[in-house]
Amino acid sequence: MSQIKINGREVPFEPGQTILEAAKAAGITIPTLCHLPQTQASGVCRVCVVEVAGSDRLLPSCETPAAEGMEVKTDSPRVREARKGILEMLLASGQHNCLVMDLPPEKWTSFQIETMSRPWHDQICPAHGDCRLQDLAVEYGVTVAAQEPPSGEFPLDDEHPMIVRDFSRCIQCGRCVAACNEVQVNRAIPAPWGPRKDQDPDQGWYPLVDYDNCTHCGECVQACPVGALFEKKAYGLAYANDVEKVRTTCPYCGVGCQLWLHVKDGKIVKVTGVENGSPNKGRLCVKGRFGYDFIFSDERLTTPLIKQADGSFAEASWDEALDLVANRFMEIKQKHGPDALAGVSCARSINEDSYQMQKLFRAVIGTNNIDHCART
Amino acid sequence: MPDSLMHTWRQPAGGGLAAEALEKAQSQGPVRAVMSSEGVLVLDPAVDPVDLARAYVELARDMSCGQCFPCRLGTQQLAKIMERICAGQGSREDLSRLESLANQISDTARCDIGRTLARPINDILAAHRGLFKQTVDSGRKVEPGSYQSLVTAPCINACPSHVDVPGYLEGIRLGRYDQAMAKVRNDCPMPGTIGRVCVRPCEANCRRNQLDQPLAIRWLKRFLADQEMSGAIAPPEPPAEFKEPKVAVVGAGPAGLSCAYYLGRQGFHTTVFEAQEGPGGMAAYGIPSYRLPREVLAFEAQQVERTGAEIRYGVRVGEDVSLKELGDQGYSAVFIGVGAPEASSMRCEGEDAGYQCFMTGVEFLAQASRGQQPLEGKKMLVIGGGNVAMDCVRTARRLGFDQVNLLYRRTEAEMPADPAEIREAKEEGVHFHYLVAPQKVLAADGKVTGLECLKMELGEPDDSGRRRPVPVQGSEFVLECDAIIPAVGQICVVDCVLPDAGGVTPWKTLVVDQDTFQSDDPTVFGGGDCVTGPATLIGALAAGKKAAGFLATHLQGGECRPGPQHLLESLVQALGVYDPEEAFAYPGLTEKAEPPTLDPEVRVQSFAEVEGGATPPQARVEASRCLRCYRLAVAALDPASPRS
Ligand SMILES: Cc1cc2nc3c(=O)[nH]c(=O)nc-3n(C[C@H](O)[C@H](O)[C@H](O)COP(=O)(O)OP(=O)(O)OC[C@H]3O[C@@H](n4cnc5c(N)ncnc54)[C@H](O)[C@@H]3O)c2cc1C
Ligand code: SF4
Ligand code: SF4
Repeated sequence: MSQIKINGREVPFEPGQTILEAAKAAGITIPTLCHLPQTQASGVCRVCVVEVAGSDRLLPSCETPAAEGMEVKTDSPRVREARKGILEMLLASGQHNCLVMDLPPEKWTSFQIETMSRPWHDQICPAHGDCRLQDLAVEYGVTVAAQEPPSGEFPLDDEHPMIVRDFSRCIQCGRCVAACNEVQVNRAIPAPWGPRKDQDPDQGWYPLVDYDNCTHCGECVQACPVGALFEKKAYGLAYANDVEKVRTTCPYCGVGCQLWLHVKDGKIVKVTGVENGSPNKGRLCVKGRFGYDFIFSDERLTTPLIKQADGSFAEASWDEALDLVANRFMEIKQKHGPDALAGVSCARSINEDSYQMQKLFRAVIGTNNIDHCART
Repeated sequence: MPDSLMHTWRQPAGGGLAAEALEKAQSQGPVRAVMSSEGVLVLDPAVDPVDLARAYVELARDMSCGQCFPCRLGTQQLAKIMERICAGQGSREDLSRLESLANQISDTARCDIGRTLARPINDILAAHRGLFKQTVDSGRKVEPGSYQSLVTAPCINACPSHVDVPGYLEGIRLGRYDQAMAKVRNDCPMPGTIGRVCVRPCEANCRRNQLDQPLAIRWLKRFLADQEMSGAIAPPEPPAEFKEPKVAVVGAGPAGLSCAYYLGRQGFHTTVFEAQEGPGGMAAYGIPSYRLPREVLAFEAQQVERTGAEIRYGVRVGEDVSLKELGDQGYSAVFIGVGAPEASSMRCEGEDAGYQCFMTGVEFLAQASRGQQPLEGKKMLVIGGGNVAMDCVRTARRLGFDQVNLLYRRTEAEMPADPAEIREAKEEGVHFHYLVAPQKVLAADGKVTGLECLKMELGEPDDSGRRRPVPVQGSEFVLECDAIIPAVGQICVVDCVLPDAGGVTPWKTLVVDQDTFQSDDPTVFGGGDCVTGPATLIGALAAGKKAAGFLATHLQGGECRPGPQHLLESLVQALGVYDPEEAFAYPGLTEKAEPPTLDPEVRVQSFAEVEGGATPPQARVEASRCLRCYRLAVAALDPASPRS
């Protein structure tokens, strides 16, 4: 097998693998920021640059194919310095009102006042504690003290009922674009492109959404590594460190997507897809991601109700309710025959449940009157 | 090299050429300073290097494409620093930040807009450190001068029409086909044609040649054209309003159509007079439809019409109407693009005897393109080694000739035809005979029966650098055949259009200014094959485009003179931005995308298009291979004048 040398260590690689992939397989971590698994590397952030002997430039490990005999340094002072420089400029380019924005006192107050006067900025950034930029800024000792605080206007897309697109914190990494176009293939976020001189000055290269194609799945929000895209309903409810993540299966349809419920004080704050979980590999649809409010509804039924003679409903136990249903079914069957009964199973049930349902109707009740609501 | 105050120019094409290019540019107008990715040149002490550096970083900032963080953010910071320094508010820290930032951008940026920044900035700082220091220390304010700027790349520079190749490849990579096509159409009005049959100097000059294989630039342009023709992207919109003067264009070949298209885009109506019954010139009546389907030409001519041109077919200017009459009809100017339509002679006995089954290549192809069967028989001889000869042999195979033979007086190595064409002709069963020259056409009863030939050998190189073929004494032999097609070149007949005027060379080409395309008669412009002799499609399109620019100036009462922008272009063109010696640290591992083609057995059955298009994923993968070798230049070319 072919070998490259990473940080003095011989590392095998398969032809076609990038330096990043070879390093990862060997347990060597190279930081990335714009890289979105399942999509083509775009080489935007340059945080994954490494030193390669023979090249006078640093090379992006996400895009550079490993070649026999290459000698790579992933964490040399030159590499760390380059990453730090990029992160500094990046942090200073947006309104990141979290702890890593270490402006000197004379600039800090006015920056915070100005920032907090904007919509969706009255609190610390919603990504605080779960932000790739923040993590890297801490790791690389990034300081913005010497830089000008960000100024000027940033577009804000507040139209959507579930999603805020606050471009004042957007780093233009392209992950939302890739998530929409390559992962979900909705093609609702056209890639911003072209030289600066050709851009609309009010919009820059910000990844604006074409709502004609948007299915509101929120994949872009999940892909955003910082606090630019966030769930409107979750704003201000909790930070990453305050929540417990509970893994569950989405109840909406038979696919069985894996969800993380972000729970605080027994309440769901938001829902995200389980990145490596099958079958959805992190992807969710609009219902799985945003349709969770009903569980806290006052109108939600929490016990069975049995209709009384006067038309009113009385609370009952599950045993009482199921006995009643079973008895009435048996009565009808005896009186009118099994074909007087029919079953329609719910599209929210999983395959196994639907199978049980037809078993119940065919084997127990004795009729072929069985169907599924997604088919009718 | 003229005396310079500062000179750090890298000379990729060899020192002599750079010096020559500069001297030529100097003779056309004063070159005062140039700062570019390749180095810095300051010739005039009145140019303030601090201001020059400012102009350069501003260009870098404006061209930065936002697709990588260091360049997007760094160029903005560089420009801010320079603005501060020039406003007299700079500091020593600004100077060191300038240097470190430029190095950092070049070290990490994604493409050459950022990667080439450090060199000129370091050069100018090193050469003028004293002045930069003094500027920040004293708070001197720097007066802004006026500069020309140019953005090019090896592929762009090699293309006669300077199509923004990396620009449209990036558009394909990012799925922005509409905007990518808009970029193409800025410089190429026939993308479906060029995307199929261009001779592609861009690919020969692609920097990826040094890494692994060049980009499939032509095929990707065809991909965009396919998107446009299928309606997936909207064709170009006509201009909102038109101006008064009208222009007559003679010839609806590539040069004429291009001129009409770009005049239309600038708001001028044109009437195109075309002798034949359809558009395209040699692209229609020369290039066979298995390489370039007629629908493509029809669609492209339609776009020219939508942009404000009226095409009148069946009108031969010079016979049916004279240039003078066109003037009387209210046309303010004329563009002549009549091509090189006549076949050259082989200087072989019997070629002018009018034998049956002896026909020139251009005539043969023209008839075949009209769906006729120009010649009957089984065994054909085609004489020539260029692309026209290739088109003849391959067309003959499709018209039922079983034994098609190509005779060429040198060897395959010297053949001017595209190697891909040679390969495809061989696949289709064409027999190649090298080092053979025709002597005498043999005939019986006025009909061709064979060709007497002479064997050749290669002697000393001639002017073109190719070894000259010399006859081998006494080597005559006879090849029997049913038909003979000479395809050894075309000649111009511009005198048919301009019967009594001067301005025509002994080779019957039109004389025009090489920069402005204007002839001695200021209302007559011309370009394409009728000026250069038989050349290329993209050359003709470029001529039409550039002439349209100067025509517009002329129509608006201006004087046609190459401006400073033009000077900078010629200078950079001559200096060259492609270094075939460049070495990369590691070889690339990618391969150029190969278009799908029909099987040879299927191909010879009909005139169906041989090559297929790309799918969106194929196009994207291929476009992603582009290294974006942009090169920037700013120059002070004329006497100092304040910025407008
Ligand atoms: C067989 C063949 C194959 C070729 N293959 C390629 C190729 O693969 N790639 C490539 O880049 N180039 C190729 N070329 C070259 C290319 O076709 C020419 O360089 C290009 O067409 C020149 O364009 P033009 O507009 O100057 O002239 P033309 O294409 O010759 O157009 C001139 C037009 O003017 C018309 N015209 C002439 N006289 C008059 C008049 N008096 N009044 C009105 N109209 C008139 C003609 O009918 C014609 O339509 C090929 C050429 C030939 C012959
Ligand atoms: S996006 Fe990240 S770095 Fe920016 S403010 Fe939010 S938490 Fe901080
Ligand atoms: S790699 Fe791209 S930019 Fe560079 S020469 Fe080739 S096509 Fe042009």
